[in-house]
Amino acid sequence: MPEYEAVIGLETHIQLNTTTKIFCGCKADSWFDPPNTNICPVCTGLPGVLPVLNRAVVEKAVLLAAAMHAEIRPVSYFDRKNYFYPDLPKGYQISQFDQSIGKGGYLDLPIPAASAADKQAYTRRVSITKLHMEEDAGKTKNAGGRRFVDFNRCGVPLIEMVTGPDLRSADEAAQYLIRLRQLLRWLGVSEADMEKGHLRCDANVSIRLKGETGLNPKTEIKNVNSIDAVREAIEKEIARQIHETEAGRKIEAWTLEWDEDAGVLRKMRSKETEADYRYFREPDLLAVRLDDAWKQAILRDLPELPLERRARFVAQYGLPEYDADILTAERSLSDYYEAAVKAYGGDPKKVSNWLMNDVLRMLNDAGLKAEDLKLTPAHLAELLKLVDSGKINITTGKALLGKVQESGKSPAAIVEAEGLGLVSDDSAIRAVVEEVLAESPAEVASYKGGKLTLMGWFVGQVMRKMRGKADPNLARQILEELLQ
Amino acid sequence: MSLTLEEVEHIASLARLELTAEEKERYRQQLSAILDYARRLQEVDTTGIPPTSSVLPARSRLREDRVEPSLTPAELLRNAPHAEKDQFRVPPVIE
Repeated sequence: MPEYEAVIGLETHIQLNTTTKIFCGCKADSWFDPPNTNICPVCTGLPGVLPVLNRAVVEKAVLLAAAMHAEIRPVSYFDRKNYFYPDLPKGYQISQFDQSIGKGGYLDLPIPAASAADKQAYTRRVSITKLHMEEDAGKTKNAGGRRFVDFNRCGVPLIEMVTGPDLRSADEAAQYLIRLRQLLRWLGVSEADMEKGHLRCDANVSIRLKGETGLNPKTEIKNVNSIDAVREAIEKEIARQIHETEAGRKIEAWTLEWDEDAGVLRKMRSKETEADYRYFREPDLLAVRLDDAWKQAILRDLPELPLERRARFVAQYGLPEYDADILTAERSLSDYYEAAVKAYGGDPKKVSNWLMNDVLRMLNDAGLKAEDLKLTPAHLAELLKLVDSGKINITTGKALLGKVQESGKSPAAIVEAEGLGLVSDDSAIRAVVEEVLAESPAEVASYKGGKLTLMGWFVGQVMRKMRGKADPNLARQILEELLQ
Repeated sequence: MSLTLEEVEHIASLARLELTAEEKERYRQQLSAILDYARRLQEVDTTGIPPTSSVLPARSRLREDRVEPSLTPAELLRNAPHAEKDQFRVPPVIE
């Protein structure tokens, strides 16, 4: 069998996390609200109303366009996309067509070794062919043979972003979505929760012989709403296309729907005619003009991007890629890490270990973000210094994490108040050692008779009596002295 | 410039209009006349002039991202031909 490669492009719809809708003051997020409660004459298409553009939508679109290395048009326009559907009360969707806010762009996608066919990590450049603002449509729902319409989602701001046919496997498509989701949250432009429809994805899939450069007829996969589902649906579609091609059949330009429960693709009714949306400039809105002052003000909020920070963590702190990847998975965690490294001043890898082993578990268990922790980066640094200086041992240190988080008090204050510090007071330990020796005449005798391995047992007894707070080295010295 | 009957039928179907044979012919003539009139603009030499979307020099007014009161479901549904459970009820759609 000849070797095939997949050619995949992803079309994503990103729900921006603005407070209100794109063209009216209705609340944008209706996830927890009953039907038709966040609606007004504008978003339900009543006659005689005019849309007014939400400033925050433009700002978030500009941030995303900049992060995707897209050219940002100083003048862009809204257009009407005309079609009839019950979820679209105006009979048209206000979208952008030929002069959208973003032009071009790309994402350099790191493909980890585990996702690569030959287990070698590499970078895939994914081009962006479309990046525009638009309004969402409402929701229709079938129940008991009837169809109901809820307009809450009408006018919720979306960015439609489409990639070129640049992805070459289902794993690459999944990686693209993982990195896109990370970026959207990092920028603070979308919650990017696929289950809640904040990030929706359609996939265009075709195959060709490896080495060919042309494009073959593609199918479009719709209704995939998790990253695992995207990967699985694309894998199945690639296998189907190879099977069909090998059997001498042609691939037809079908639209396929992913059935999540059954894990299969179903052919949707194909359209008789190509959709004719009769786009024209939206006459109710003027041009969106982005002057330099506004653009610069927006871009001042453009943070260092996750993949850049990941590379910098490797270079600057000497972290393994694995650590850098986890620590930059989310922006507030990476900010936390850097603040802790600065406050600590010691080995950055040690800070990473504590974060990845203990603090992350704490975050996951409590469902918190790093920025929400009462255990501040300064606290963590102080705690590490207490361990380094021998004031507390590692076990106490780990237990302290939870205590600081609960109380918000500094580690040193808690150590002081609860007497958690290692006892390095010679006389206190000496008293306990004497007690232990007095209680264990048999062991003392056999130690003196040459069974020197009992030293460990003696130290253990001392530590137990002192509830682990004795400096073990000092205890050993005193034991050796008194057992001579 | 003359529109064909097929073009009129296509335009009518895009607008979900059902036309009689007499209307199709009448609209064919009227729409053709409108297009012919507009065609005169094509005679103007526009070389070097950028496309104009609006003659208004103004920019789009922008709204601050603050919540304004919404309608109640009852208000919204007052003119609905069919409503149920605070939602519009529509005929099932066959794709």
